[in-house]
Amino acid sequence: MQAAARLGASPDAPLDAQAQPGRRIGGQTVVLGLAVAVLLCLVGYPLAWLLFGAFGLPQSFGLEHLERAFTRPQNFAALLNTVQLALGAGSMSILIGVPLAWATARTDMPLRRLIHALVALSYITPPYLTALAYIILLGPDAGQFNRLLRALFGFASGPINIFSMPGVIFVIGIHVFAFTYFLTHSALKSVDAALEESAQMLGAKPWQTTLRINLPLVAPAITGGALLAAIESMALFGPQAIIGTPAQIVFLPTRIYATIGGYPPRWGEASALSLLLVVLTVAGLALQRGYLERRSFITVGGRGVRSRRTALGHWRWPLFAFCLLLVFFSAIAPLGVLTLTAFAKSWTEPLSFANLTLQHFFTALSEDQVAVRGILNSFKLATAAATLAVLIGAAVAYLDVRTSARGRRLLDYLAILPLGLPGTVMAVGILLAFIRMPLPIYGTLSILLIAYVARFLPLATRSANATLRQIDPSLEEAGRATGASWWGAVKLILLPLARPGLLVAFLLVFIPAFGELSATILLYTGGTETIAIAIYRLNDLGQLEVVSALAVFTIAVVLTLTAVVSWLSGAGPAFAETPTRG
Amino acid sequence: MAFIDIAGIGKRFGKVFALHGVDLAINEREFITLLGPSGCGKTTMLRLLAGFLIPDAGSIKVSGRLYSSPRGTLPPEQRRMGMVFQNYAVWPHMSVFENIAFGLRIAKTTRGEIARRVARVLAAVGLDGLAERHAHQLSGGQQQRVALARSLVVEPTILLLDEPLSNLDAKLRERMRGELKILQRDTGITFIHVTHDQAEAMALSDRIVVFNKGAVQQVGTPREVYERPTNLFVADFMGQVNKLPGTVVATSGGRARVRVGAQTIDVELSASRKRSDASVTVAIRPEAIRLGAADAGAAANVLRGRLVESAFLGNIVEHHVDVDGMLVRVQGDRRQGIAAGSPVELSIPVGDCVAMPSETD
Repeated sequence: MQAAARLGASPDAPLDAQAQPGRRIGGQTVVLGLAVAVLLCLVGYPLAWLLFGAFGLPQSFGLEHLERAFTRPQNFAALLNTVQLALGAGSMSILIGVPLAWATARTDMPLRRLIHALVALSYITPPYLTALAYIILLGPDAGQFNRLLRALFGFASGPINIFSMPGVIFVIGIHVFAFTYFLTHSALKSVDAALEESAQMLGAKPWQTTLRINLPLVAPAITGGALLAAIESMALFGPQAIIGTPAQIVFLPTRIYATIGGYPPRWGEASALSLLLVVLTVAGLALQRGYLERRSFITVGGRGVRSRRTALGHWRWPLFAFCLLLVFFSAIAPLGVLTLTAFAKSWTEPLSFANLTLQHFFTALSEDQVAVRGILNSFKLATAAATLAVLIGAAVAYLDVRTSARGRRLLDYLAILPLGLPGTVMAVGILLAFIRMPLPIYGTLSILLIAYVARFLPLATRSANATLRQIDPSLEEAGRATGASWWGAVKLILLPLARPGLLVAFLLVFIPAFGELSATILLYTGGTETIAIAIYRLNDLGQLEVVSALAVFTIAVVLTLTAVVSWLSGAGPAFAETPTRG
Repeated sequence: MAFIDIAGIGKRFGKVFALHGVDLAINEREFITLLGPSGCGKTTMLRLLAGFLIPDAGSIKVSGRLYSSPRGTLPPEQRRMGMVFQNYAVWPHMSVFENIAFGLRIAKTTRGEIARRVARVLAAVGLDGLAERHAHQLSGGQQQRVALARSLVVEPTILLLDEPLSNLDAKLRERMRGELKILQRDTGITFIHVTHDQAEAMALSDRIVVFNKGAVQQVGTPREVYERPTNLFVADFMGQVNKLPGTVVATSGGRARVRVGAQTIDVELSASRKRSDASVTVAIRPEAIRLGAADAGAAANVLRGRLVESAFLGNIVEHHVDVDGMLVRVQGDRRQGIAAGSPVELSIPVGDCVAMPSETD
């Protein structure tokens, strides 16, 4: 556009007289520089402080923090527990995810879409809310399900205690198995029936085909999904704290929280532990990437793939019952019990009309100061974070997709990097980075905003990137050739076409930011509570009914917006014919 | 000076040279086609002309005015050229009318004038009554016409066409080909057309520019390029050709005697042959060869061989003839039937035998 302005002065004059070096890149360089600066502040700077902090900087320099991170018994226990949790949740994700994926992708089981939607629901529900639900369901004495078991089988006490390692693994497992499920599901869908039919023609029985053709083809997807599930399970502060802490089981995120929350806060140790968590995460991601690369032998995308469903015959309904049982535990029971509790006068009383009330919603939405403030703050923060993330993400994506500017790869990498960082780690980095800076943002909503933008920027960037890739550059070029300036083509052609995609990007950031807990817990102060903090604190106070009301409200917001996203993603028939890259 | 003057243009993408040393003069009202296989640089040339790319070397001038040089380029929107893209690039969020009116609106044309000119161009491309449709309600051919109308309505002096016919089915392609030709003649706009289809290039163009590996191989009328290719690449690319290795025995003027196998023939020498080359390749189009004895009086070569097999292809019969161990393809009359294995005589006019360097580069 600069060139347009510069050269446009008199197109009749020969260019030699006025052409200057720099060309059109001038404007791009400014945008690129700005984007790099913002990303370095948001992502690079806090990470650098994490590294410095682990070595004791700026007070001293040494390895004592790193050493302590391994040798202090509490820390070592946290490391062991975290690994145990990752292995447990990863294995569990295979046990639940693979049969479910097979049933919905490759059989004629009835109500497959319902099961699929319920798996999505277990993933969408913030895991700390699932954890709360299971306290209500499987608390050692008062848990609804425990009481049912005692009544049915005459146990004297218990019999199930959610406050245990298996309890944590279970609650996290029924959230993260969705990774394995979705990856396996799409891999199974993309196996061309011709591959199986060829095996059949050579005399393989159905079970042999499944074992020798299908399983090896989707094995990388299964392993990749389980690794993602394991990585995610390590980062989930919410359930680790809500169920693990009362049982005195510490994990790395809750341990980091304790080292900073104690007095005096031990920054060095927290940084060292954070680095440890990053190393575990990065190692897992590297492994996962390796596995997914081996997926290349599957026709990913599945265009023109004909897939075949196994006719189950009499087994259709028993298989459905089995799948329903799995999603009952992962979605129906937790959401159901939260809803019932939210409407019950007392959650320990049996369900009856006399026990119904709207009082808890009233308390949560208008009486309780922290809750009301939390709701407002969450809406404000999520809106601001999503707006900023989309602005930055769209700029990064434009540079990546539409220009050949040098440095755009690095930019893209920086913008995707936070995807591999647990919220707790991000928060420690941001605390270290901004608590010292002369910028008075600690204790304000701004520090939370920075954390949210940094954490969820990858979602906006990837979404914007995908959107821009779908819009053929020739559409803008046709605008230029017809007389529009660079900005004119962006404004009149690119932005209108990208709008639905950018709105999806906005919501993809808004949804997780609205219920964010693991970074917020380290960064909030009195006055900057969010809805997740309100839930966390009211749970500590034992007010499970009000907590449930807030939980139901949160889930309602999240579900509504998710529905909007899938409607938007599926919609846009008018744009369906947008030409793709020839 | 030519209307469009391209001098010493070079363009590099990273380490890959897309174009080097391209010189080309294009006349006003000319229909010129940039022809070549994919990756030959023809599309890069077109995008340089449009102003989407900045050359690394050389210059592009239009009517004596500098448009592009490594030091700066006039942005596309100020070149007053039209461009039709391979995928048509019809904006999906606008109706046909809005698509076509876009350029006029950018130029701040009055509403009445816009309505009048859009209606006129819609009629010209045969889209009357479709003004309110959206892209997804149009067939490929209709989208093509929208793209054309959109470029024509702003009355450019130059229209750039990037493989405009390649996404159409065969029948429609043939019809649009005819319409394009008529449109160019009627409007007097200079058409610069890019394609990899040599038949399309020959049917449409006043002149063809054959590209390969980023360099111009030959510029000429369709007939010149087809009948007098300057090198083996052009000969090969423009259509089926027999390539017979030979040795120059004697030269006189533009002609030479060449030994092919155990026999000798008279040939034309291509301009690109270097004086010192003794070994050459003789290019002969299959349809230039006649099966049987030559007509008396014509300056024709005769090659003797043995018929290997004949394939009936409908409008023609293709014969494979063994000439001293070389396989020669001959396109003959479909009514002509000769038994495989028979000895045959091939007669070829001297003007249809072109000797050129054996190396393509």
